[in-house]
Amino acid sequence: MKAAETAQAIRAGRRRAIDVTEAALADIGTRDSRYNAFTEVTAARARAEALAVDQAIAQGRDPGPLAGVPYAVKNLFDLEGIATLAGSKIERSAKPAARDGYLVRRMAAAGAICTGALNMDEYAYGFTTENAHDGPCRNPHDLTRIAGGSSGGSAAAVAAGLVPITLGSDTNGSIRVPSSLCGIFGLKPTYGRLSRAGSYPFVASLDHLGPFAGDVADLALAYDVLQGFDPEDPAQTRQPVEPVTPRLGAGIEGLRFAVADGHFARNGHPEAFAAVEAIARVLGATRRMVVPDAARGRAAAFLITMAEGGNLHMPDLRTRAADFDPGTRDRFLAGAMLPAHWVTQAQRLRADYRASVLKLFAETDILIAPATPFSATPIGQANIELDGELVPIRPNLGVFTQPISCIGLPVLAVPLADPSTAGTPNGLPIGVQLIAAPWREDVLFRVAAALERAGVVAAPPLRG
Amino acid sequence: MTEDQAEALMNAAATALSLPVDPAHRPGVIANLRLAARMAALVEGKALTVHQEPAPVYRP
Repeated sequence: MKAAETAQAIRAGRRRAIDVTEAALADIGTRDSRYNAFTEVTAARARAEALAVDQAIAQGRDPGPLAGVPYAVKNLFDLEGIATLAGSKIERSAKPAARDGYLVRRMAAAGAICTGALNMDEYAYGFTTENAHDGPCRNPHDLTRIAGGSSGGSAAAVAAGLVPITLGSDTNGSIRVPSSLCGIFGLKPTYGRLSRAGSYPFVASLDHLGPFAGDVADLALAYDVLQGFDPEDPAQTRQPVEPVTPRLGAGIEGLRFAVADGHFARNGHPEAFAAVEAIARVLGATRRMVVPDAARGRAAAFLITMAEGGNLHMPDLRTRAADFDPGTRDRFLAGAMLPAHWVTQAQRLRADYRASVLKLFAETDILIAPATPFSATPIGQANIELDGELVPIRPNLGVFTQPISCIGLPVLAVPLADPSTAGTPNGLPIGVQLIAAPWREDVLFRVAAALERAGVVAAPPLRG
Repeated sequence: MTEDQAEALMNAAATALSLPVDPAHRPGVIANLRLAARMAALVEGKALTVHQEPAPVYRP
């Protein structure tokens, strides 16, 4: 189910929103037990929203660009009347949200139908969605493997075809990592582009929200709807709404491309780099540019994340540490103890690193980099061999995404249409990061659309 | 940072912050402090001048 086609059919009166919604709810009810992507299905809400869309059409009112399109959100987004879990056990006793988060309100205003909340790593601190409270989210391409995280449910729900659009968050890679492992498109916009108000925070310095979709047109449709200024997010920058849908056919003429070198050309399995080369070939990118201090930038993001995350959860760490997911607890505890010098130095290094990287965009419009160092690993596996050494999977999944979100650059993660050509094990999906200068999401969408037309990027079909 | 140094940091911070650490959680906390120390060494590997300010900027 494509969002654009569904909305078009509903707006034209060829389908009813309630029928589309009932079909989506039935499909989720039948198939989600395989994936464990949903932690809550909001059936009553979905039906009420669908009937409102059908009523608007019957009365001749514009039902919105996403009329009748089912979607779902990572369970850190506020949904009115439901406790915002953020993947935790602790928040199960929290008061239900008094109103929807800002981006959910944008989706509702566009006529989209909220079908539920999605599985994630606890408090967004992880890259695998092996959640101790809700169980692991399973990769639709191989149910024995992780979906990636922390927005694992968001990526799995789209890859499985349960809904065409989902929303997630990305602090260190949590949109881009699961997009890569599940073989779908994900956008981490520029830091400050989309409001985060009404979502459970993790690291104020680094938190971003963004959409997932199965193709570029649907991702653009969602992104265009989500834009808007919200005074309730203190980190949001007042930018004009810049719709990208009208620019999808603009092509890539005049754009300059470079492959990210140095840090981004090591620390991964061959398939990660083969995927980058496949994209670079189609774009005619022959230039390679070293991203200066990328490893230091990643280290800075690592420390800032630990410290701000530890600070945020201090009251619960003091009184009920045992209620945290074992996968996050020790990192939060350690994060709360970091010397202030390390964290302040990380924030100073971050400014220096940003200045160095921004210089690269004087000579290129797009940097092409791997999204993940390898494809999806088996659920429960802790370590993986990398350059002859056994390294832990959890922190290393973010090795290529962390240096970019550290400085808030916009990234569109694109899936290789035929990942077997990159040599992934059993043809498992793998993605690539298209990285642009701040506020140039328009360029990312133009390039992704051109790659899609060339047939090199697409969500690979599920087998079996 | 050695294991002993990380343990000393954990004990001192836990006391200063009134943050009890269950014996079962101590090895994980120590391991994460050592990982953070490696990250801090990377960050500190680049000299910055006194005029280089932190990335977040407060606007009243």
